[in-house]
Amino acid sequence: MHAQRLSIPFRTIPLALAIAAALPVHADSGAGIDTWRANKLDPSAGAASEGCDPNGTTWLAPGTRRSPTGNLYHCPPPAPQVTAHGDWQHYGVLQLGYLGTGGDDRNALWNRYVHWDSELILGLLDLSVERPEDGTYANVRASRISDDDQYYQAVFGRAGSYKVQAFLRDMPNVLSADAKSIWNGVGGNVLTLSNGLKPGGSTSADVAAVSSAAPERMLSVKRSKQGLGFNMYLTPEWTAYANLSDEQRKGARPYGGPFFFNFPFPANGGALETVKPIDDSTINVGGGLRYAGTAWRMDLSYTGSFYRDRYTRYTYETPFALYPVVPGAVSAPLTTGQMAMEPDNNYHNLKATFTRKLPMNGELSLTASAGRMSQNDTLIQPIDCQGVFGIGLGGSLQLGPQNPFLYDCSKWNTTAALSRRTADMRIDTTLLDARLVLQPASDVTVRGGLRFNRDDYRNGYLMYNPLTGDYGYVSENGSQGSVVPGEIGLFNPLTSPSALTRIRSLPLDLQTIDADLGADWKIGDRNTIGATLAFNRYEPTNRERRQIDDKSLKLTWVNRSLDWLTLRANYTYKTSDGDRYEYDPYDFTYSSSLPGYVPPQGGTPSHTVEALRKYDMSSRDEHKIDLMATIMPRDDMTISGSLRGDWNSYDAKIGRQAYNTTGATLQWEWQPAPTTTMSVYAAWDHSQLRLSNVQDQQNGAGTDPRLGGPNYAFDGQWWLRDKQRNLYGGATFDHRIGRVRLDASWNYTYSRGIDAYAYAGPTALAYPATVPGAGPGSGEFPAMVYRIQSLTVGVTVPITERVSMRFFDYYERGHVSDWHYLGFDQTLVQDHRVYTDAGPQSYRANLVGMLVNVQL
Amino acid sequence: MNPRIACMAAAFFLASVAVPTAHAAGWIDQRSVIAVHGDATAGAAKATTCVACHGPNGNAIIPAFPKLAGQRAEYLAGELHKAKLGSRPDSPMTALAAPLTDEDIANLATYFASQARTPSTLPPADSAVLSRGESLYLHGDPARGVPPCQGCHGSDANGPADGAGHLRAWPALRGQNGDYVVQRLKNYRDGKLMDSSNDFVMHGVAQSLDDGSIQAIASWLASLPPGAP
Repeated sequence: MHAQRLSIPFRTIPLALAIAAALPVHADSGAGIDTWRANKLDPSAGAASEGCDPNGTTWLAPGTRRSPTGNLYHCPPPAPQVTAHGDWQHYGVLQLGYLGTGGDDRNALWNRYVHWDSELILGLLDLSVERPEDGTYANVRASRISDDDQYYQAVFGRAGSYKVQAFLRDMPNVLSADAKSIWNGVGGNVLTLSNGLKPGGSTSADVAAVSSAAPERMLSVKRSKQGLGFNMYLTPEWTAYANLSDEQRKGARPYGGPFFFNFPFPANGGALETVKPIDDSTINVGGGLRYAGTAWRMDLSYTGSFYRDRYTRYTYETPFALYPVVPGAVSAPLTTGQMAMEPDNNYHNLKATFTRKLPMNGELSLTASAGRMSQNDTLIQPIDCQGVFGIGLGGSLQLGPQNPFLYDCSKWNTTAALSRRTADMRIDTTLLDARLVLQPASDVTVRGGLRFNRDDYRNGYLMYNPLTGDYGYVSENGSQGSVVPGEIGLFNPLTSPSALTRIRSLPLDLQTIDADLGADWKIGDRNTIGATLAFNRYEPTNRERRQIDDKSLKLTWVNRSLDWLTLRANYTYKTSDGDRYEYDPYDFTYSSSLPGYVPPQGGTPSHTVEALRKYDMSSRDEHKIDLMATIMPRDDMTISGSLRGDWNSYDAKIGRQAYNTTGATLQWEWQPAPTTTMSVYAAWDHSQLRLSNVQDQQNGAGTDPRLGGPNYAFDGQWWLRDKQRNLYGGATFDHRIGRVRLDASWNYTYSRGIDAYAYAGPTALAYPATVPGAGPGSGEFPAMVYRIQSLTVGVTVPITERVSMRFFDYYERGHVSDWHYLGFDQTLVQDHRVYTDAGPQSYRANLVGMLVNVQL
Repeated sequence: MNPRIACMAAAFFLASVAVPTAHAAGWIDQRSVIAVHGDATAGAAKATTCVACHGPNGNAIIPAFPKLAGQRAEYLAGELHKAKLGSRPDSPMTALAAPLTDEDIANLATYFASQARTPSTLPPADSAVLSRGESLYLHGDPARGVPPCQGCHGSDANGPADGAGHLRAWPALRGQNGDYVVQRLKNYRDGKLMDSSNDFVMHGVAQSLDDGSIQAIASWLASLPPGAP
């Protein structure tokens, strides 16, 4: 019997549809707005839209198709069951059902980017209506898991003519599920102490009691986004497109709240973890014209983004009093701190790209782009206080010459205390890019590119109070200067001429030039080799170097000597170097650059150690290797593996010294039949970061910047080795018996990080007295471990021709070990340090689903 | 897991994988084709009926009938199997193919494949028509969505250059009778030939061809002398 007789598949669907595989509704016209709609339920429970078309990928060839490197493409889904209505036809699926959760289902990691709840849900509505005659189509797609986890999308248009789409999407992000706030007003911009806690008058025990009694609450941010998109084919060559979206974020998240150090000053200061309100919106707009002709292609586009925050700041009360370090003095009764919110800002960008086909199968592409980022938001006052702040000598809080460290709030608590009322900041960007590709012979491809980019800062800000003549910003909500006399963060040529403080913003203009030239050469049918030389020049301003050059050589080799194997190997060598390294280019941003500055007794403290090399400014050598093999032992099976390594060596005695990563992956995929697919995946990677730093011996007062000098003595040097190891595993199984579908998947993630340290002497440590002896030492912090496993098992059974039921169970177990949160199960309040988030917790949770699938 | 349950589960899975799909009679999947090795002598004996239309040695003289000589056996076998389905447009082939066994089909296909194709005796068409046909065959017409025929049928119209596997079920068109090619393409275009995966391919291709293009392609193919150019 002939093979042609043996392989007669049954006619499962109308032939007209089996042939018309490319339905217009699936054709995307290019530029769009968030065209992908999905949620965590969809991949595992959207059974009605999954599976493989038993007719395969193409009528032209048997079996499944592979990518150029040999990987199996995923099988195409079955063609839909279409119902005709005259000229129109429709198809789709409706999935309704119930989800039930159990176990630790309030856990933050379990609820990351999803809001599972025990309730009725709309798993999926996906309905398409089409008129094949002229390619007119419409599609509605929706899913609703809960109030803050849902999406709705509508698309309509005509193939080759126009396309309109609109969507709504809500997505949650849980940041903490075990937060305990000592403040009222969470989610707003005024946090007031709760349950009788007295601002500036509570003890640590009072606060601990209130924290302990506070109910656990969830801190989360919900993103709600709406969008509209429009594409129109003006002619076969010209397309116009426009899109608009608006995303609002609402919620609250743990954030900082400084009131001066507490570690070195027991029962003083305040390190508070407050709750920041999130209430903002971002409007994105875009539009353009695109031309695609035989010889030319063009794209002229505009994109804009507009961020608006409801608040300019939020305030919080501190429960703790401050005490001066000077005997007999008294601290001002500060009770309120503030945090600035992200400023409202605008972004505009115009871009034009022209591409021309050239002889020798070549192409030249030129791009020019200009952008502007600006923000002119209202600035906030330097401090939120009434009366005075600072230290009153002799127990008096009376302003006057007798109290040089006491300051009048009224001269600082309004925006009249600022050198200007709004930010008025701007960054202009310029981009020019040219790329050329030529194929001078059928087996040779040559390519090159040149790119120029600039970021120009157009304004700056000088921190000057015209009411007082002071320069600088009040530090730590005024608390630092209310504990230590004079450490208020302000310079005045008359009253505090030796105060070293930051007084202006730091513009970081940058110009980059990138050039590359490369070629690929096909040697016969089996081998391709390639080489690319690249040069990158960075010219930053106000950084440690004015010029940094990266030079790299990349070699590639692809081998297909064996029909069942594709081997790829890449090697890159990169070296970075630059002009002279200036360890302190920031003097102009400090009061030491102002007229009237008088160095303190002993001289102006050094900004940092001279031997420091910041990692992005440091000279560096990099070797990078990638080896990849794709094995095709059978037509329906792929085994792929990879090895990679990246070794970076930095020329730095102080700073980052090395960063090395190695990794390996192994994957097996099998698609023995349209009804069966299986895969197994495993990956391992390891990274090691080594750095060194040195403790100054004079608490910042030393003037000698040399490593090994009196200020940065060798005895104070320390080294850190950060090791990170990750393991990933996964397996999937999907099998159909008739219309019954069985599926299962397992995923495993293991991440372990550990920091080991060594020090030359106890003076390298923040608490030298905690270690015995005077010599070097070493140790390591406990390992930080994050391990998550999940298992999904599902079955779909047919009820009628168009109705099926899906049952699935999703089980997830997470183990988290993070020493930063040790002791938080006992209390979130330690001395004057108050934490709100109790940290990530281990968990076991389960999700059961029963869903009815109806083919529409 | 309990070993018995595990064994049962494994057996359940393996059994469900091994059971072939319950095929119903329908269309022929020509993406998996094994070589045809029939008996040419037996095929010659069986071919006495065929020559009435397809000419001596399979070189049809009447332009409306296809030349069979020189085609690959796998293509010819596939055509006979499709004729046996009974769903092709009305023709004597339906009745003639119905009683053929698989062995008969293999023998006939092997026989005609072994014969040499002879050139057309008809005068060639107008040079403009031939030129247009050649252009469509070699380059297609991208503006109208017409793919070049040579992509599947070979730059010399002798079938795919690498005639292995399923490619052997794709016909050689060089020197084929023009009227037959015209009617065949129109039948594809009009959805009258929908019995195999190869028919589905040609249905899609032919939908982009108007009558003039079909005539031009057929005329140019008919004008080509058999054999290597």
